Amino acid sequence: MTDQDPKFDRRMLEALICPQSHGTLSYDADRQELVSRAANLAYPIRDGIPVMLVDEARVLD
Amino acid sequence: MSDQKDKTTHFGFETVPESDKAGRVQGVFNSVASKYDIMNDVMSAGIHRVWKDAMMDWLAPRPGQRLLDVAGGTGDIAFRFLRRAGHGHATVLDLTAPMLEAGRKRAEAERLADSLDWVVGDAMALPFEANSFDVYTISFGIRNVTRPADALAEAFRVLKPGGRLMVLEFSQLPNDGLQKLYDLYSFNVIPRMGQLIAGDRDSYQYLVESIRNFPDQEAFLSMIRAAGFGNAKYRNLSMGIAALHSGWKL
Repeated sequence: MTDQDPKFDRRMLEALICPQSHGTLSYDADRQELVSRAANLAYPIRDGIPVMLVDEARVLD
Repeated sequence: MSDQKDKTTHFGFETVPESDKAGRVQGVFNSVASKYDIMNDVMSAGIHRVWKDAMMDWLAPRPGQRLLDVAGGTGDIAFRFLRRAGHGHATVLDLTAPMLEAGRKRAEAERLADSLDWVVGDAMALPFEANSFDVYTISFGIRNVTRPADALAEAFRVLKPGGRLMVLEFSQLPNDGLQKLYDLYSFNVIPRMGQLIAGDRDSYQYLVESIRNFPDQEAFLSMIRAAGFGNAKYRNLSMGIAALHSGWKL
């Protein structure tokens, strides 16, 4: 990421939960994902904006 | 609550499967995002700004309040809220990323960056804990939600006790003559302006039809009460072309 790219603000983690399970999320900085263990889903972060839609989430193995 | 399988909902005047609506609404807003502000100005002759200011007058934001603005795309409500509150925090949630990106690019967004969060999400399944916000607003958004009652239930959940809901939405005029005139204007003029300005007639045809389909003032007030809100009231704007609905999580 360059300085030009908007970055995900870690403080948002405190406010966000998984919309499906209502469980907590963990931040995967490398993959730019917010991971919900309870729902087995990873929500993408695109241009610093978390996409908290179940339809857009990656199903974890 | 009599629905069974194969539920349908309105997409403008079309009846579509519920499962299709979100995608089709996303299509509309992805296609109009970059011209959305200018189209709103043209469609309402600038009046949407007056309505949004009226919303803030009734809301009376206070310092330190936390706002969730749903369907807040371009940040219009969040910026006004933060300006009026002096200091506070606003989370802007929208179903489509292009709308949020349009908002984040505005100069105000840079100045207020520390007070703003941008989130793509669904009004019917909010990614926030219960009792998180002092104020929930949705401006010209709730009629695009597949099941507005679900969105109101989620609003109630994420508001703190004592929190306030405020909805700005197009509504119905109080008498048939005026409504006919307004329909003539909106069905004949707005889709053409959409074609001229945004090169997109269909999206604006949808906007007009969805306005006509939305419950009237009293019916929507009942929905707000049914979601659990107390002291629910509404005010007409421009004779009822739009309406503000307010309720409290008591």
